[in-house]
Amino acid sequence: MIQRLVSSEFFVLALCVLLLAGLGPFTPGLLSAENLTNVLAAMLPLLLVAAGQTVVLIGGGIDLSATAIIAFTSVTGAKIMTLSGGWMPGHPAAVPVAAGVMLLAGFLIGLANGIAIAWLRMSAFIVTMTSLMAVSGLTVWATESKNIADLPAGFLALGQRPPSALAIAGGSLILIHVLLTKSIFGRWLHAIGHNARTARVSGVPVPAVTALSYAVSGLSAGAAAILLTGRLETGSPVLGQTMMLDIIGAAVIGGSSLFGGRGNVLWTVSGVLFLTLLDNALNLRGLSHFVIMMIKGAVILLAAGLDTLRRSGQTE
Amino acid sequence: MKSSRRSILLPLCAAPLLFLAGCGPSAPKKPVIGVSFETLQTEFWVAGYDAIKKECAAQGYDVAEAVADGDAGKQLEQIKSFITRKVDGIIMVPKDAKTCVPMIKAANTAGIPIVLFNRGADGGPDIRTTAVVADNIGLTKLTVEHMIAEARKTGRKHTAAILLGDLGDLNGMARRDGAEAALSAAPDVVEVVARIPTEWNQEKAQAGVVNALQAHPEIDFIFTSSDFLFPSITSALKSAGKYHKAGEPGHVILGGFDGDATAWRMLQDGYLDATGVQDVYFEAKQSVQAIADQRAGKTPAPSILDPGFVIHRGNMAEKSSQMWGTQGAK
Repeated sequence: MIQRLVSSEFFVLALCVLLLAGLGPFTPGLLSAENLTNVLAAMLPLLLVAAGQTVVLIGGGIDLSATAIIAFTSVTGAKIMTLSGGWMPGHPAAVPVAAGVMLLAGFLIGLANGIAIAWLRMSAFIVTMTSLMAVSGLTVWATESKNIADLPAGFLALGQRPPSALAIAGGSLILIHVLLTKSIFGRWLHAIGHNARTARVSGVPVPAVTALSYAVSGLSAGAAAILLTGRLETGSPVLGQTMMLDIIGAAVIGGSSLFGGRGNVLWTVSGVLFLTLLDNALNLRGLSHFVIMMIKGAVILLAAGLDTLRRSGQTE
Repeated sequence: MKSSRRSILLPLCAAPLLFLAGCGPSAPKKPVIGVSFETLQTEFWVAGYDAIKKECAAQGYDVAEAVADGDAGKQLEQIKSFITRKVDGIIMVPKDAKTCVPMIKAANTAGIPIVLFNRGADGGPDIRTTAVVADNIGLTKLTVEHMIAEARKTGRKHTAAILLGDLGDLNGMARRDGAEAALSAAPDVVEVVARIPTEWNQEKAQAGVVNALQAHPEIDFIFTSSDFLFPSITSALKSAGKYHKAGEPGHVILGGFDGDATAWRMLQDGYLDATGVQDVYFEAKQSVQAIADQRAGKTPAPSILDPGFVIHRGNMAEKSSQMWGTQGAK
């Protein structure tokens, strides 16, 4: 039974319930509506970018450039619409244009990563790490490290008003979920993650599917940047810089495999929920920052251990 | 075997959660101040954090701690967690002057006093907060003026490099402006040939100084916007064979800002000419007092200035007891 529970896709969700039930009565504010709303709002950007990472992980890859894409698209969108020296200050179309450019820029950077990995056969780790460095450098150089504020209220509402933030995140997640579970792309991606060579022999267009998976990851990072920039009311050249461990950690805790071929957006939702709730509960318990870091690190390590056990179970 | 390994994993997952229920402080009876630092990765912030904790204890407050690791989004969640916990006040070191604005607004809306420690906000008149900050421009200007006076004594013109901080941080900008103001008044003594952006990052600082020394081997005057970058500077100077004590041939005139333990050791050893010392204890005391004043219905000033002081070889015996870095050096 324990074996089945641990292997179950609801295991992480059960841990979330255990976390709330175990700590709720002893942690003032944890179960309050206000706090749970905060948790939900906090998890949406992470959810979006972790869902994109899940797509890449299923195909057996990894995208380390997501945080750089968040920062780049954040300042690009902010520069278009800022009321202080922007390219379209006060223009009625500034917000949709800026949001569209943020998504397009994320998609194109992701696609460039994907093309280098799929057609040039370069290592995903090296390509996305290099992309992280180059895009971060470009962002800081172009902005001279300066934040861009004075953004239109209509844009801030996208990240700050729960209904609009939920609509952006929820709509994107449904699209990615449908893409992974109901389309031929999803079946091909799983096949590539299980064994790329076999998939190629079976007629799967491996390079195109791989490249598209990175483009989806970039697009998700652009969408996450819309929410984060709106919440912080500022386009920042270092936005999301420290999120990478949470992004990969949430996907792996949810059950996506670092070895490819296994993953699901709904599992990633559980992983993000667990990581965000854990962070929130530990903060509300008043634990030291360093203790929180150690606990989160241990939980992610445990999830990676489970992933290895699952994989060894499949191969034995 | 597989089954037994997995059987071990479930209790391993569940036990920490149950254990945590018993962790953390018991229900506090004293009022609580939430303290959110952008980072604790430099000596200055650790000293500031310790000073605030001591001052809170002295004024009868408990402390709730949060560190954002340089992530403004995470800091926003931490501030909202403080608000959910209904803390009695918030002291924050913001990531930068802009991204803290929605955090201040959230605290304002909740009616919780919020004070910014050592970094100001750039949010206009819509936000209510008190910023306790060093006189970054004035103190930097005094520090660089002392360095210029040392340069003038040599009777020759010097070539300078300035290490800039994160220019999204008001402190970084103010220190740049203070240094530039002093240097522009002495073009006959010092010429600036390199302005090195560091974004408060030691690796970038070291690479920047190495590049500057290669491009301009004649550099003999370096000011850094923060003392925590001195290890990067000394490493680059040593590699270039230019790290010498004051009075020795080839000495590079060095100055900084903060007053940390490294600066104190360099000053004692004769390598450092001057540094602007922020009075961490003054800033901590004023921050906690500003919370207490707001809770008592008073309205503190939007900005409380720490004048700080310049320490150099001429006054180090007299001023060392006020320099927070001497505590870390012990």
